Amino acid sequence: MRRRKPLGELFAGATGLALTLGIAFAIAVLLIFTLSRRPMNTIYYFFVGPFTNKYYFGNMLNTSIPLVFTGLGIAVAFKSSVFNLGGEGQVYSGALVGTAICLALPAAGGYLGGAAALAGALATGAVLAGLSGFFRMKWGTDELISSFLISAAVIFIVNYFITGPLDDPGNNLLATRAIGEQYRLLGIFPPSKLDVSAVFSLLAAGLVFFLMYYTHWGYEMRMCGLNREFSRYGGINVSAYIVLPMILSGALHGLAGGVAILGTYHMAVKEFSGGMGWNGIAVALIAKNHPLGVVPAAVFFAYLDAGAKAAMLHSDVTFEIAAVVQSVIFYLVTAQALYSAVRRRAGAPA
Amino acid sequence: MRGSEFSIPLLHNTIGIMTPFLLAAVGGLFTELAGMLNIALEGLMLFGAFFAIVFAGYTGSLLAGVLFGVLFALAAAALFGFISLYLKANVFIAGLATNLLASGLTIVLAFQLFGNKGVIRFDVARLPTLSIPALNRIPVLGDLLLGHSVFVYVSWAIVAVAAVVINRTPFGLRIRGTGLSSATIASLGLKPRVYQLAGILISGFTCGLAGAMLTLNLGAFIPNVTSGRGWIALVAIYLGNKTPWGIVIAAFVFGFAESLSNYAQGATNVPADFILAFPYLITVLAMIGYSIWRYYKARA
Repeated sequence: MRRRKPLGELFAGATGLALTLGIAFAIAVLLIFTLSRRPMNTIYYFFVGPFTNKYYFGNMLNTSIPLVFTGLGIAVAFKSSVFNLGGEGQVYSGALVGTAICLALPAAGGYLGGAAALAGALATGAVLAGLSGFFRMKWGTDELISSFLISAAVIFIVNYFITGPLDDPGNNLLATRAIGEQYRLLGIFPPSKLDVSAVFSLLAAGLVFFLMYYTHWGYEMRMCGLNREFSRYGGINVSAYIVLPMILSGALHGLAGGVAILGTYHMAVKEFSGGMGWNGIAVALIAKNHPLGVVPAAVFFAYLDAGAKAAMLHSDVTFEIAAVVQSVIFYLVTAQALYSAVRRRAGAPA
Repeated sequence: MRGSEFSIPLLHNTIGIMTPFLLAAVGGLFTELAGMLNIALEGLMLFGAFFAIVFAGYTGSLLAGVLFGVLFALAAAALFGFISLYLKANVFIAGLATNLLASGLTIVLAFQLFGNKGVIRFDVARLPTLSIPALNRIPVLGDLLLGHSVFVYVSWAIVAVAAVVINRTPFGLRIRGTGLSSATIASLGLKPRVYQLAGILISGFTCGLAGAMLTLNLGAFIPNVTSGRGWIALVAIYLGNKTPWGIVIAAFVFGFAESLSNYAQGATNVPADFILAFPYLITVLAMIGYSIWRYYKARA
């Protein structure tokens, strides 16, 4: 029994979720019919495009990798009832620090250097989010808003480094120099960009699942998430569980940035990670904050992105239609009325 | 003399720059008092900004632009309110959805209408400014308070009306009551959701104005032109201690910070990105300072 329960949570509310996604797709079709002059062509590429060849399919899976990390980061925070809205800045600064470490290291020791870069990325995210957690613990500063503001400021500072001191004058991009070959993660599905970090993301999901459901820390974090006052009476050090989930959440976001650099981009490009943080929130919500559910939810979000990209390349709509469809999912994914209506119809108690 | 030559334009600009913060925050105050966290200020402003400049460009009338900007911001607020209050979605998530929708939809529409996802310039008239020659001659005050765009004076009127509505009318008291205890409001036979929806719609109205001011002032639309002003307005509500006059002071502080950084951009060689980060840093520091002050006040 004990082993089944956490997995059971995952499948709860599947019908409500199906309804949410159905509405989102209906709106996508509606939007395409309004905007496109060749709607059937656009619809084909939007829905089927990502599966038409190995390159698109592998790239879709590759896009999902950072989303798994950010989704896990949000799931850890939400499960503990703390809010990390600074994902965007944490991913971006993690990526910058990871790149900088690779560029600074002498051209030896690929594994060690890569590990150092990822550790740096992880630490950067952890510190940024941890600050908000610390302010909340110490003085009650709302971590939701402070994490957003810190992240917004950090984005500009990262922009400064990418376009200023670290800019590579040799390329026409607003980007740093490329990291050395020895630090790049191994591709596993050529010709696409999918690399070995896909395995890391699955490992991370498993690890977070284990941490949250099978360890003492995880238990106390979830208890604090359910009811902080009750947990205080139960003797849990509740103030520590404001900072710890923030640190973990930030670390996972920083890692998302580091992995994106080592695996996919190989250089920090200005604003390359825009959206990874916000989409992590939607991914976590679709997964109902369950660490294992984050993986399919991230692939689904990557599918929407890949579909919009394919539609943009082969038809006449712009990529941002993905953001509109994603916002519909955001709107409805927590709509309880939608979910309980489904349950009532199914005859189960609401 | 040198001192006042520098400080009077600085303060004059502050009054213009603080206005979008002020408008968004005063509207958001109604939502906040009704007990809801209004993350959507940013997105509502962006809706107002986009539709105001597009309609002003098409019709050639600034008034029509403002009207449609406000109308679309209200429609977005209604959607946000409907989904969070009647479909019972999490307010915070529905607010994020509104911001994401605003950012995505305005770019999609800009691309569709103008085939361009960058800066889109419009041929619109300049915003009318107030000038009263007789009063202009008053030394410092005349320089500071006159010559702003009409939006500035509208925002002052809105703050005054908001202060009266919140403190002296049954409607204002019921909005506050909803925030304090919606069960009490329900037990009086009133519908708390109606007051919460009203709070959201009021924020839609003022955010629409705030957004319209931004783009009509620029004569252009830039993707995500609101660039975090809605978030700063949200902080201004807290720092203003959830009162209209407190919000005026908080908005002034943020307006001053931005005005100062605009000045620094022209006068010093601090990198532009640091200057862009400055308003956020000031905001977060102000927020932390405020919470420290509250923390020690509560303990004393």
